Amino acid sequence: MSKPAGPATPSANVFVLLKKYPKHSLLLVAFAFLANGLGLIIPKLIAIGIDSFTSSGVFPSHLILPTFLIITGIFIFSFAQNLMQTIASERVALDLRKQLTQKISLQNNATIEKFTPAVLLTNLTSDIDAVKTFIAQAVAGIVSSLLLIIGSSILLLITDWKLALVVLLIIPIIGITFKVIFGKVQVLFIKGQEVIDWLNKVINESILGSATVRILNSEDREKEKFKQANETATNTGLKILSYFSSLIPVITFVSGMAVLVIVVLGGYFVIKGEMTLGSFTAFNSYVGILIFPIIMMGFMSNVIARSAASYGRIQQIFDHPNPTESGKLSAENLSGAIEAKDLSLVIGTKNILNKTTFKIKAGTRTAIIGPTAAGKTQLLSLIVGLTEPTSGQILFDGKKIKDYDQNSFFNKVGLVFQESVLFNTTIEENIGFSDSANSENINKAIATAELENLISTLPDGLKTIVSERGTSLSGGQKQRLMLARALALNPQVLLLDDFTARVDLNTEKNILNNIKKNYPNITLISITQKISSVIDYDQILVLMEGDVIAKGTHEQLLKSSPEYIQMYESQKSTNQYELSTD
Amino acid sequence: MNYRLTNTSHQTESAFAAIKKFWPLLRNQKREIFLAFVAVIFSSIASLVGPLIIGLIVDKFIATKQISGVLSWGAVLFLVYALSAIATYFQTKLMGTVGQKLLFSLRSEIFNKLQSLPLAFFNQNKVGDLISRINNDTDKLNQFFSQALVQFISNSFMMVGAAIFLVMLNLKLGIASLVPAFALLIITKALSSWIKQKNNTNLKATGNLSAEISEALENFKLVAVFNRRDYFRNRFNEVNEVNYQSSLAAGVANNTLIPIYSLASNIAQAIVLFYGVSLIINGNLTVGLLVSYVSYVGRFYDPIRHVASIWSTFQIALAGWDRISEILNLKSELKITEVENKKSKKTNSLLEFSKVNFAYQEGKNVLHNISFDLEMGKTYAFVGPTGGGKTTIASLMSRLFDPTSGEIYLNGQDIKSFPEKERTQKIGFILQEPFLFSATIAENILYGNPKCQSLSITELEKVLAEFGLDKLLNRFPQGLETKVSTKGQLSLGQQQLIAFIRAILRKPELLILDEASANVDTVTEKLLDEILTKLPQTTTKVIIAHRFNTIENADEIFFVNAGNVTKAGSLKHAMELLLKEKRHS
Repeated sequence: MSKPAGPATPSANVFVLLKKYPKHSLLLVAFAFLANGLGLIIPKLIAIGIDSFTSSGVFPSHLILPTFLIITGIFIFSFAQNLMQTIASERVALDLRKQLTQKISLQNNATIEKFTPAVLLTNLTSDIDAVKTFIAQAVAGIVSSLLLIIGSSILLLITDWKLALVVLLIIPIIGITFKVIFGKVQVLFIKGQEVIDWLNKVINESILGSATVRILNSEDREKEKFKQANETATNTGLKILSYFSSLIPVITFVSGMAVLVIVVLGGYFVIKGEMTLGSFTAFNSYVGILIFPIIMMGFMSNVIARSAASYGRIQQIFDHPNPTESGKLSAENLSGAIEAKDLSLVIGTKNILNKTTFKIKAGTRTAIIGPTAAGKTQLLSLIVGLTEPTSGQILFDGKKIKDYDQNSFFNKVGLVFQESVLFNTTIEENIGFSDSANSENINKAIATAELENLISTLPDGLKTIVSERGTSLSGGQKQRLMLARALALNPQVLLLDDFTARVDLNTEKNILNNIKKNYPNITLISITQKISSVIDYDQILVLMEGDVIAKGTHEQLLKSSPEYIQMYESQKSTNQYELSTD
Repeated sequence: MNYRLTNTSHQTESAFAAIKKFWPLLRNQKREIFLAFVAVIFSSIASLVGPLIIGLIVDKFIATKQISGVLSWGAVLFLVYALSAIATYFQTKLMGTVGQKLLFSLRSEIFNKLQSLPLAFFNQNKVGDLISRINNDTDKLNQFFSQALVQFISNSFMMVGAAIFLVMLNLKLGIASLVPAFALLIITKALSSWIKQKNNTNLKATGNLSAEISEALENFKLVAVFNRRDYFRNRFNEVNEVNYQSSLAAGVANNTLIPIYSLASNIAQAIVLFYGVSLIINGNLTVGLLVSYVSYVGRFYDPIRHVASIWSTFQIALAGWDRISEILNLKSELKITEVENKKSKKTNSLLEFSKVNFAYQEGKNVLHNISFDLEMGKTYAFVGPTGGGKTTIASLMSRLFDPTSGEIYLNGQDIKSFPEKERTQKIGFILQEPFLFSATIAENILYGNPKCQSLSITELEKVLAEFGLDKLLNRFPQGLETKVSTKGQLSLGQQQLIAFIRAILRKPELLILDEASANVDTVTEKLLDEILTKLPQTTTKVIIAHRFNTIENADEIFFVNAGNVTKAGSLKHAMELLLKEKRHS
């Protein structure tokens, strides 16, 4: 496992969250205070009972009613406390998720890819869960622990301050032990989380690549990969365990020593008549009460550290600046003239695109052609503003993309991606994904994309659910659905990324004719491998390793570009067939 | 062929039945378990003997004012606490180790099961839900086994020991102080299935939530381009709300037991006080014993309270276990049959389809009574409109699925009778959408190729050169060492090239190319064609394509449409069919 050391994640003060929910926090603290405060009285009651009996020999019947009331009170308040913990923590999680989604939804695609969907998923699930645990456990845990520690310490001091001072020594001893061991475990916890990420990666890839694994019969290889991660996970778990298994005996031993002190020293005081037997019993009980909250504080400090780290990661997203406000310019009357000026894109140290310049007239058809990994898809992404260029600019009707109102701009620009990007919902919702798609536009789009036949054979028609990676649709069908989705905008500019790759010849011809007929003034930009389908285009851009090495019509390129001629030659033998069908 | 996971929770299953299920995973740890139990018994006895000694010191020495007795019994008490600490150490260590190893076996079991299931399983279930089941639900089990189990068992022991002491010291007071515990037993039993069910619903909602988030995030560019940021929010808010409701319900369910247990503990203490005092008045109890009793009641009810808080962890783990065992209970229906089972009459065919019907969903046939055969060393093209069934045929050829009816023969023998290793060695299949693992390109190329696995980079380069595959590597910035990590980093065309190299290097007898170069430029594609000619003469090739240049050298062309296969004869005829065909898809 080689993981790049990620940037140090800042932790944020999770207690700030409590201020945002004053009512919830106040009630939570109040209930925890009351429930645990009342709890402290029980040993005192027992001590009073034993003392009043030993001194008078009479049954302490006057204590029955107060005992009953206190027990009932504890039950009610601790019930309320537990309920409040759940309500408050779930409320915070709900709101945080909502706010985080709101924030994410405003970002542009580049930001999402920078943060990566996987990390954002972790932010929205396990990080928020950690914050939830903080509210659910740490807040009440700390309040009640502090109350119990302070309360029982005071009661111990009141009962017998000399004995109390000796017994209270256990607080710093246990506290320091915790700090030392948790300091070491913390590192292992982080490592444990990394190992879990590793395990998950192996699992996820084996699911996503399940077909590949079965074809190559590499199930054993996958098992081997998993075994490595699994063994590391177990070893890390065992290391954490060995720290814990030394921590717990220390605590039990130290608290045992406190009891020993009480028995020997307290016993001595009782014998000397400086202490009553009732107080002696109460002392024993208070020490019992004292130990648990100390341990609790130790564990809570860990919960706080974890949730602070998670909240820090969440805060990082909130602190990310929103993309600059989009312009006000309406694209309603966009004619579709596009111009690229000195467009460059650098990713890392690699030049993806070098100072690309071209012009596309409104209502014309342009093809982008070039070898695998030439930067064609990135160029498309730059044209519509999905990716920010490193330098240079893109103009639509002579205006920068940023000047346009994004809503109105994307209502006029349709894009069909290379890979299938479909939502797990009905065909109708997938096609009418944009708000501006009305039923008239949807029907026109369906007809243009030659989907009528397909839809009519489906049992639920337009209401058929497109399953995630389902076997229900073929590659070409998905591609046509995506085209229909773009056309349903009734766009002025249409960009196709390798649309023809998965659609058969006949359908492709029909679709291109349909587009010409149904969307007469559209500006079309098409990335393709097939020269035959773009021979009559107004302009062909030949892209190679980030450079537009030639542009012009088919005829012009045949005269001027040797690279283009080579590509054309490689397809020529079959072109005879394809041309003969015209 | 139904591998769809449901979400029905199995209410009948008791906690005990679940533990019994874990047993096979524990069998090889008998010695550790035995030692852990010894340690648990020791530490429980030690912590129970403590209060007894304190009671004795109070009655025999403090009440009679003998300081020397206090001191000497104090020394005994010290020994007991020391012993208790040592026993606690071994208890935590041994039980924890058992838990960790159990988790190891459990994770392996799940993963190995996943590897044994056929492709249909992965197609029928949502990826997001599967991942959530395996990551999230095993994590719930993890929490239980790595943290709660130790406490669960030691607390249970402590409880039983304290109960025995309570009853033995004074039968009447003992029974009286245990009455609230009986009430708890009944309440817990009554509430458990409710708690588990709430958690089950919640885990399901969590699965949906993460499935929804990952879908929306992975498709974010669509959201951006189509201006549907509101769609992203609305759809998410919906699942968020559902998750909130179920999580709230589960939280309430998980938290109800805790105050009830405290109540029982307090009632028991009150019983001990008042009933104990009245017993003393009747001369049936001493003050010293009463002091011990107060402490024993604590020692009985404190572990119960711990168990109560662990109990919900246990119910959550059980709910997770239900969802996981649904996967573990699935059995692959793609079994390897006996060799003599069925034989084809044809002798020189490599692969033969005989009256094959196939349906992904019952009753909806996508292939109708298909028969054809492929001879060794020839090249076959499958053409036809999209959605006609070409990919399905290819999937059946490589036995990703079994036909609903009809037979497929490989080398004249039922394809079902071939061991997986032999079959996959014979058949290479380049998928329409290739998958790459996050590793270097070299590792991806060698993936699933044991013969070449140990080659060094230079040796690998040599082997690649034999096939002319080296020319393809300059499409990658760092050649073989280029790292493939996140999605979108390599273009679809580049991914197809890697899948191509990977398949060629395995030297299959039958090579299926399903639109294998659809996104590769035509110049590179020419190169691929050349490479294909370098394969041994006996290699049979099946090419599925829309672009006709890739199939012009085919010996035979099959036309696939609406689940039927016909021989097209010449390329020209295939073209005509394709153009004239009124599509049924």
